[in-house]
Amino acid sequence: MTQLIWDGLFVGSFYALIALGYSMVYGIIKLLNFAHGDIYMLGAFIGFALLTSMGGIPASLSLGALLIVLLVSMLITGGAGVLIERLAYRPLRGAPRLAVLISAVGVSFSLEYGIAAIAGPNPRAYPIRLEGGVFEVLGARASLPQIVLMLIAAGLMVALNFYIQKTSTGRAMRSIALDSNASLLMGINVNAVITRTFFIGSALAGAAGVMAGAYYGKIDFLMGFIIGLKAFTAAVIGGIGNIKGAMLGGLVLGFVEAFGSQWFGGQWRDVFSFAVLILFLTLRPTGILGERVTERM
Amino acid sequence: MKTGTRKTVLLVIGAAMVLTTAGCGGGLLSSGASGAATPSGPVKLGMVVPISGSSAPTGAYMKNGAQLAVDEINKAGGVLKGRKLELMVEDEACDAQQAVASANKVVSAGVVVSVGGYCSGATLPTLPIFQKANIPMIIPAANSQDLVKQGLANVFLINGTGKQQSTTALAFMKKSGFTTVALVDDNTSYSKDITTETQAQIVADGSVKVLLNTSVTAGESDYSAVVRAIMAKNPALVYWTGYYQEGGLIINQLKKAGFTGKVMVADGSVDPSLPKIAGAGAEGVFATMTQTPDTIKGAERWIANYKAAFNADPGPYSTQSYDAVRLAAKAIEDAGSTKGADIIKALEAIDGFSMFSGPLKFTPEHTLSSGGFVILVIKDGKFILNALQP
Repeated sequence: MTQLIWDGLFVGSFYALIALGYSMVYGIIKLLNFAHGDIYMLGAFIGFALLTSMGGIPASLSLGALLIVLLVSMLITGGAGVLIERLAYRPLRGAPRLAVLISAVGVSFSLEYGIAAIAGPNPRAYPIRLEGGVFEVLGARASLPQIVLMLIAAGLMVALNFYIQKTSTGRAMRSIALDSNASLLMGINVNAVITRTFFIGSALAGAAGVMAGAYYGKIDFLMGFIIGLKAFTAAVIGGIGNIKGAMLGGLVLGFVEAFGSQWFGGQWRDVFSFAVLILFLTLRPTGILGERVTERM
Repeated sequence: MKTGTRKTVLLVIGAAMVLTTAGCGGGLLSSGASGAATPSGPVKLGMVVPISGSSAPTGAYMKNGAQLAVDEINKAGGVLKGRKLELMVEDEACDAQQAVASANKVVSAGVVVSVGGYCSGATLPTLPIFQKANIPMIIPAANSQDLVKQGLANVFLINGTGKQQSTTALAFMKKSGFTTVALVDDNTSYSKDITTETQAQIVADGSVKVLLNTSVTAGESDYSAVVRAIMAKNPALVYWTGYYQEGGLIINQLKKAGFTGKVMVADGSVDPSLPKIAGAGAEGVFATMTQTPDTIKGAERWIANYKAAFNADPGPYSTQSYDAVRLAAKAIEDAGSTKGADIIKALEAIDGFSMFSGPLKFTPEHTLSSGGFVILVIKDGKFILNALQP
């Protein structure tokens, strides 16, 4: 039982990190950014390229090296997110919602097959592997890398929450989510704030990508597809557009999957998870924390 | 003068139309005929294998193996009194839609024999396409029972089948004293085929117990659910029948979870990347596999030729693809024609044709009479022949 909770929590924190990007972008420009899962993949590949170019890293330094690589990858994926917004979404700002959605799908495929063309279609084994001590906590097996990664994820989420609640940019984001025209009239540089939103969301996904690569040890160009869908599900469960909802939704989805596979067997896990999603949308279309008319973000 | 010009213009248009239609007709005729009875041009072999996607490395091994055989046969004078062989490779991508598109492409290009087919799930929908065109298929790698279940006359498997693989797996479990086993597949045609068959044989045999038979979703990173299920049952052996990417992750995560039993993988997981992905957990992992060039005694010269030709090492299914082309050439030669029906007859009649997997004779259902599966084990990050064979 504790093992289930622990595993659910661990997977859920990955979902949450990616769901945040979905949710922020949706909250601010009402776009379902389907390329977001591929930003996660991009992060994993950038981390891979950085680690490979650094050459052999002694095992004792691996965590420190990983943190540096994590930061650099976050900056680059953040930049990539900004670039994508600039090239593929901003020109369509006034266009119908569907056009932007298709543009997002297009970006997703471009990223996937662009990486496949550059880095090759074969899966890669990550140059460093987080291996570490395993200990029992209340009957669950937890490992040091899991704890470190969850702390990093939690730290990023706390920092994000602070940024959105306490800084002026955060306030601007929230006001654009409420009414972007009014914000513009109040003198907020809407485009600049949207750019920042994309930067932060993409950086978080990139961080998740590097962490997944270092923990699981395998990356490939399609790795963002399923987890992107799952993170989207998590964002919807939590109440899309709501930051705390995205974090909560990620954890809830992690638990639902863990318990679903325990109760019904592994092959039924996704059936169960997505049945929960459908049920949720029928009973509470706005998600756990979403409200009908409310301040999003 | 005026009418004259109009007449000329009409004439030109008319002539142009006649020419184009004639060109069209000629094109249709020639493409139809090249498969059947062009007496001189090259004899085309079609090969639909993964060139892109996660199985692309294996596709390259297969393509090179086939090309090596084509080059050797052409050097020795070709087939049917001096006609050259020509290999046409199209992408299967381990994806049903892509495979169907590629199969249509090679059929309309007029191939005489198909020598491709890696992923069973993608090869399956191509069977009716080749069958309608009456083109024999010598399938080097795909080996799901589903491929021969329909009893199509044109389908021949030269890889051992899932059934034969299961028999080898069970024999090895008994011989090594594994009494409890967990069967895990990835819900694809190929993988499910082996677990279903293994389960059936184990139940019929009775000396090994299946504690768990479950599936995972391919393409994910986290397999903690199946790892938990395995840990709860604690079997002596886990038999994974899917492909190497998920296999590597599951082995790694089992190791992290403290699993003390052994793991065995099926032939789809035998790839140099598996030990890399699996990391520390890889050592001592068993595999049921048909012979690879590394494990065949006396294949050194063949490996040297392969290396000289492609500047790369051969891998899984290089030998089978090589043999598929040789077998196709032999059948065309025996049949004395490039007609599908004649070649199928010639293939059925072949007895004792020497291949890497041993002398060939097809069973009535067009599979190998003996599967040729062996047990491999990972040592120092490489698959080698296991000391104990069933």
